[in-house]
Amino acid sequence: MNFKNIENKSIRQAFADSLFELAVKNPQLYVVDIGLRPSLYLDKFALRFKSRFIQAGVAESNAAAVAAGLASSGKTVFLTSFACFSPALNWAVIKQSICYNHQNVKIIGSHAGLMSADLGATHQMLEDVALMRSLPNMEVFAPLDALEMAKMLPVIAHSQTPSYLRLPRPATPLVYKKALSFTIGKSQLIKSGKDITVLGYGPILTQLFSEDFDKYSLDIINCSSIKPLDSEIILKSIKKTKRCLVIEDHQKIGGIGEAISSLILSNGLKCKFVHLAVDNNFGQSAQNYFDLYHHYGLSPLAILQSLKSLLSKK
Amino acid sequence: MILLPTKKSHPLSPLSRQLRLDIFEMINTAGEGHIGGSFSSIDILISLYNSGIFNFDKDHFILSAGHLCPALYAVLAYVGKIPREELLTYSQFASRLQGHSNLDTPGVEYASGALGQGLSFAAGLALGDKSRHTVCLTTDGEHNEGQIWEAITFANKYHLGNLINIVDYNGYQIGGSTEQIMPLGDLASKYLHFGWTVTTVDGHNLYELEKAIRKAKTSSVIYPVCIIAKTVLGKGVSFMENNPDYHDIKKLPDNKYLQAKNELQKY
Repeated sequence: MNFKNIENKSIRQAFADSLFELAVKNPQLYVVDIGLRPSLYLDKFALRFKSRFIQAGVAESNAAAVAAGLASSGKTVFLTSFACFSPALNWAVIKQSICYNHQNVKIIGSHAGLMSADLGATHQMLEDVALMRSLPNMEVFAPLDALEMAKMLPVIAHSQTPSYLRLPRPATPLVYKKALSFTIGKSQLIKSGKDITVLGYGPILTQLFSEDFDKYSLDIINCSSIKPLDSEIILKSIKKTKRCLVIEDHQKIGGIGEAISSLILSNGLKCKFVHLAVDNNFGQSAQNYFDLYHHYGLSPLAILQSLKSLLSKK
Repeated sequence: MILLPTKKSHPLSPLSRQLRLDIFEMINTAGEGHIGGSFSSIDILISLYNSGIFNFDKDHFILSAGHLCPALYAVLAYVGKIPREELLTYSQFASRLQGHSNLDTPGVEYASGALGQGLSFAAGLALGDKSRHTVCLTTDGEHNEGQIWEAITFANKYHLGNLINIVDYNGYQIGGSTEQIMPLGDLASKYLHFGWTVTTVDGHNLYELEKAIRKAKTSSVIYPVCIIAKTVLGKGVSFMENNPDYHDIKKLPDNKYLQAKNELQKY
């Protein structure tokens, strides 16, 4: 893959740095950590804001309800863990104690998707978007790159709604030259074309920024606000292109592709539609996620094939 | 040891009868509801809400076992948070009084139903609001839930001396006795080993309950307090007492309804 001098940067690190900055300004900002402080780069936070760093141990259910209780006392609470543990192990607690009780907790699910390559199936969380977007009162976000992360976090922290933030493990390509503003419920058109609308969230979308795709005229929309979804920009683009490719490092079932296909159908649009995602399957270990993306049909090659099929007359 | 007066002489005893009747009518009108636990926990709630211990403007109350809400609704109606006639809308369509407690009901601070979460929520609240007391009501059956034990260890770690967990220990849960379904063993000793202060009381003796809650609110600074209230499932109606069939009921047949009402009026 030929990236055009794109450097890699850790979204996780950007999250930790932004959170630290927010905590300096906001003395009501708390972290409830589920025993993964070093993995979320929260050492600096824990050292500086000792009384605002609550270590709940690897007990996801308790931690989620503790976070809700803390939030009900007026704090802004970030609940930090891996996506495969939180929201996976504590979903019913998030439903009742956070969403149903209207508690302003920000759930951080790191190491999401096949990108946690070597860790294998148990750690490659591929169902988190499905779990979280189905919950009333819950908003769902996934940044494209580290710069968007930095723009996104203050907005999420300021919002009074519970939200889920999906983070990848590895350092990933920096797409934005300078960060655009982030607005809940708004998507960014990061590349503009006329033939095919490409939709997705998170760093998997950065694969489209290789030279291999230069010959295609693509509308690439970064759906970092997974819920609420920016239906306006999506429908506008598909009305123009009449071809839609959705790509996500997640199960097909319950993913953003389902949300988008429902949007298309309920608005009476006719378009060709391809959804690239993990299809009713578990992940597995690999030394890098490119091998996994190739195996599960999410690689640049698979994307190229999908674009060709969308452009074909059939 | 100072002997407390007999429980029947307590000034709140008539309330214990009146609110049992309110719960009974509420559940019978709805045609279903968790009556056994509501009768076992009502004296705990009366002690908390009506003896002047609980400060509505200052303290927090978290009902972890949401199915006990008929007892909570009865108390909230008595203290004027909701109109008493509204009790008869319990669990009906569009009622504020849902089948498990929710935030639409004035005076309800935590919406519950799935067991085991409330103690964690109460611990978070106690941690975030140290100037006040947070009182939580759980049940013995609820201690099947692993999350309860996570919360117990957490409260100990963070020295939540302002957290009080009252366990409505009636010995039964849906489908049988707690000892059959999942033996709890010596619960008091378990709490002690987890770093809590523990006291065990007769959960239908308003003097004992009041004394234990008052002491928990005034004495402890570091240790969270567990009050194990030994209660009787279905307390007040002979055929419901210690009978897990009355964990929840469908509408009673006329003869049972009359017998129960008669017994409650004499309670």
